[in-house]
Amino acid sequence: MSSSNGRRPGTRGPGARPQSIWRLPSVWIAIAVLTAVAFLAVFGSALAPQNPLAINANALYQGPSAHHLFGTDYLGRDVLSRMMAGTRLSVLTALEAVGIGLVLGALPGIATAFLGRWFDFIANRVADALMTLPYIFFAVAVTAALGNTLTHAMIPVGILLAPLFFRVTRAATLEHARSQYVEAAELLGASKVHVIRVHVLRKVLPNIAVTTASMAAAALLAVSFLTFLGIGVQPPAPTWGGILSSDLDYLSQAPWAPFIPGAIIAITVGALNALADAFRDRSSAGALVLVDPVTQHVRRTDPRNLEPVDGDRQSQSVA
Amino acid sequence: MTVIDLIRPGPARAAGAATPPRQRRGRTAMVRIGGGLVVLVPIVALSTFITFGLGALSNSDPAATILGQDAATPAAVAHLNRVLGVDHPLVVQYWHWLTQAAQGNLGRSWFTQIPVAQSISQRLPVDLSIAILAVILAIVIGGTAGAVAAIRRGGWFDRGVTMACSVLSTLPAFVIGIILVVLFAVTVHLLPANGYVGPTTSILQWLKYIILPSLALSLQVSADIARQLRTSLVEVLDRNYIVGAKVRGLPYRRIMIRHALRNAAGPALTILGNDFPQMLAGAVAAEAVFSLPGLGQLLLESAETRDMPVVQGVLLVISTFVIVVNLLVNTTLNWLYRTSDGLGA
Amino acid sequence: MVIDNRNLLPDITDPGAVAGVRPGSRQVGGEVLSIDDLHVSVHDGAAMAVRGVSLSIRPGEIVGLVGESGSGKTLTCRAALGVLPRGCAVERGTVSFAGHDVTALSRRGWERVHGSKMGAVFQDPASYLTPTITVGHQLAEVLRVKLGLGRRAAHQRAIELFGAVGLRQPELVFHQIPAELSGGMLQRVMIATAISCDPQLLVADEPTTALDVTIQAEVIELLLQLRDQRGLAVLFVSHDLAVITELCDRVVVFYAGEVVETGPTEEIIERPRHPYTQALLRVASVGDFRRRELEVIAGQPPQVGAAIDGCRFAARCPLAIPACGSGSVTQVMVGFHHRVRCIRARDADTVSALAAR
Repeated sequence: MSSSNGRRPGTRGPGARPQSIWRLPSVWIAIAVLTAVAFLAVFGSALAPQNPLAINANALYQGPSAHHLFGTDYLGRDVLSRMMAGTRLSVLTALEAVGIGLVLGALPGIATAFLGRWFDFIANRVADALMTLPYIFFAVAVTAALGNTLTHAMIPVGILLAPLFFRVTRAATLEHARSQYVEAAELLGASKVHVIRVHVLRKVLPNIAVTTASMAAAALLAVSFLTFLGIGVQPPAPTWGGILSSDLDYLSQAPWAPFIPGAIIAITVGALNALADAFRDRSSAGALVLVDPVTQHVRRTDPRNLEPVDGDRQSQSVA
Repeated sequence: MTVIDLIRPGPARAAGAATPPRQRRGRTAMVRIGGGLVVLVPIVALSTFITFGLGALSNSDPAATILGQDAATPAAVAHLNRVLGVDHPLVVQYWHWLTQAAQGNLGRSWFTQIPVAQSISQRLPVDLSIAILAVILAIVIGGTAGAVAAIRRGGWFDRGVTMACSVLSTLPAFVIGIILVVLFAVTVHLLPANGYVGPTTSILQWLKYIILPSLALSLQVSADIARQLRTSLVEVLDRNYIVGAKVRGLPYRRIMIRHALRNAAGPALTILGNDFPQMLAGAVAAEAVFSLPGLGQLLLESAETRDMPVVQGVLLVISTFVIVVNLLVNTTLNWLYRTSDGLGA
Repeated sequence: MVIDNRNLLPDITDPGAVAGVRPGSRQVGGEVLSIDDLHVSVHDGAAMAVRGVSLSIRPGEIVGLVGESGSGKTLTCRAALGVLPRGCAVERGTVSFAGHDVTALSRRGWERVHGSKMGAVFQDPASYLTPTITVGHQLAEVLRVKLGLGRRAAHQRAIELFGAVGLRQPELVFHQIPAELSGGMLQRVMIATAISCDPQLLVADEPTTALDVTIQAEVIELLLQLRDQRGLAVLFVSHDLAVITELCDRVVVFYAGEVVETGPTEEIIERPRHPYTQALLRVASVGDFRRRELEVIAGQPPQVGAAIDGCRFAARCPLAIPACGSGSVTQVMVGFHHRVRCIRARDADTVSALAAR
């Protein structure tokens, strides 16, 4: 199923597969980062060293110092505290989108293996269509229609993440639904639902987990982008993207400022992607989806083809 | 032509020789394009329906908003509703809207009364400028990087490119845009940080204003193209037909371009087609970072005031555009690479 | 099978023609190809797959390299062409072409040699032709680039060449892509392309292995004609001794990276002096060695690049004696241009033992 890398027998590739993912430093770093983020999502506001809303006219746009580890923003507020407080909203709304995508995508993805060719055909066409649409326009339009909150805005993001979940689960399910032990189970009289639950799910769940990690990365980027544009932001509440946006306005006074939220976003997204990579390589399900920075542009050659595009990805997951 | 033909020459067989190759290949292409068109209709229908549905979902009362609180007597509201056509059943409204849109009439803004189509056509060139330049940049930068990385595989350039691609893929377009602004506009006052001048006014100025946004937009796609091209080219360069071309005595350059790149480029170009939605989103990001008067800004402004006709108009234009471009790109690629090397595409 | 011979000869009135060898003549002196003590390593130097191989080809001569897979014959031929696979390198020895040392030739240098002086055909012709370009254009490309022909002239000449190598309806074949042609036709295309610029040497790496026996015979006939009419020298690699004996003037037998016997074909067939050659002939039912029962050579050849003390065939040799197990074995002359790498080659008992089998 997977394409060969054209390696001659006897030559080693750029990075031989490690024995276990738990040995990879990148996995541990990723887990550490994500744990910190999750922790902040829950306790962020409480743990912030200073009040994220406290304006201090005397300390506008200061650089990092002992008092303000990340410096201050255009109103003299402590950036570190704002970042910590803003974590919750970003994380929660990102999870909202992932959840929607998971439910809307994975369920049909599994079901399609059992519901006949017509359903499959239509589902595939719909997925194709949805994958071509850029989420940002729909997100903005939904806030125009329903009200300017992030919760509203992330709905279309979730809907547009669904096709990717669909593709991955469909591929994985098809791979396993046709295997012999499933046939045997059906012959023995097990109902389709039972077969799904007991046999197929167990094999498909790892793929779903991998995709969830990648999609979470994409959703997080989407949240950052939306808040950057001012969608769903009720000032003065802090959001990662919002901080970035105000930094842009005062760029000439503090050119270093945007690197802080930018780096935080990049690190979190990178951690999610690294985790997804490591798990994907291990399960070698061939069901890779590596999702983009700003929209669901996926690293693959053909939408219908889920082959890993880049045979050298292995070298990147070996830290 | 088979072995049989060689052993038993026969006039009948010669006459019935295979159909000229070009004709045969053309037929398959037609089937593919036809298939694409068939799928197009339901997709367009679906997206227009969603777009319209959003307007219906919106619980904002246009009449009250337009008339203002004081003048919004029930009679005035009812009258305006009749004028606006919102008192008809939804399906009728949908049909009306759709047919009007097909003729180019997207209604008027609830607030400024400016025809939506006009606002859009004013802003569209900005996005088109950035998008087209971005595509060109992506092909040039990504193509060169990928090709050189593959040819000098394992070298420092190759490793550098791989690392750059990793970094670029975790950075959202707007962050890249900001970084570019910091680097080229703020620290070094080389290029402007915002603003826009149309090409009709001055080509040089226009280029000055769109080069950074286009670059910001193109970098991610470049990274993907570079990655894909590198992989494909590495695979192609190991293939026997490159050896075949070499022993025929063809010059290196010619082999690289006409034999290797030609076959390796397919999957990379497909990426361009797939990445297109991302580029549109990136255009919105670029507009935000560089303060460009484009469709994205139009959408944001009208969303703020909940000016539904404008929102719907922009959405319709964008989704139609995306779908059509996607279809065109896929069709072109299918046709170009109908006799592909089978490199995963 | 009618091959239109006229077009095999370069047209002397055609300004684009290459001044080549007059048909049927043999150049006096200089060997076309000379390989001396060649050592080739594989797997980035981990193993030595070709050990001290020496051979030479004179103008108009057809030399056959025969041996099992992994015996080093293909690597030798690749080294002669300058297209060793990734990870392989010439460690020692020289390759000379028409008197010039090409062992470490630059890319530019090889561009001048390939095509115009040295042509090549390989075992799986489909894979050696670019899949997305029509075969006609691939040949025309060579003609335009190497001979400077114009588009129309190249097109014309390509069709002539296709006809000359026996392709029917060459005008139609011109517009086919490799996937649309059969193996036999593609091999002819490759041959046409390889000889299109009238090279002195054609390197053929198992060109007939994947073909039907009938097509095989036609290709052999074609090669013989090319030799007769153009004075083309051929380095012909194969594991099929029957084909080698039909086509080649001289035979070089490979085993485990070394040349174990070399000599004129008739000599090798009638008086093989190396036990391995003997066994090969028996297995191939060639010459006097008719197969009486199913014969195989017992055992396996050594791992590629394995370091072995003494004769590399000793482990499987029916005539091995203790002395065979140590020290390097050099080649000895046993006849006119007939060399064997065996310490027992001249023993009187060996000769009679072999004759008795």
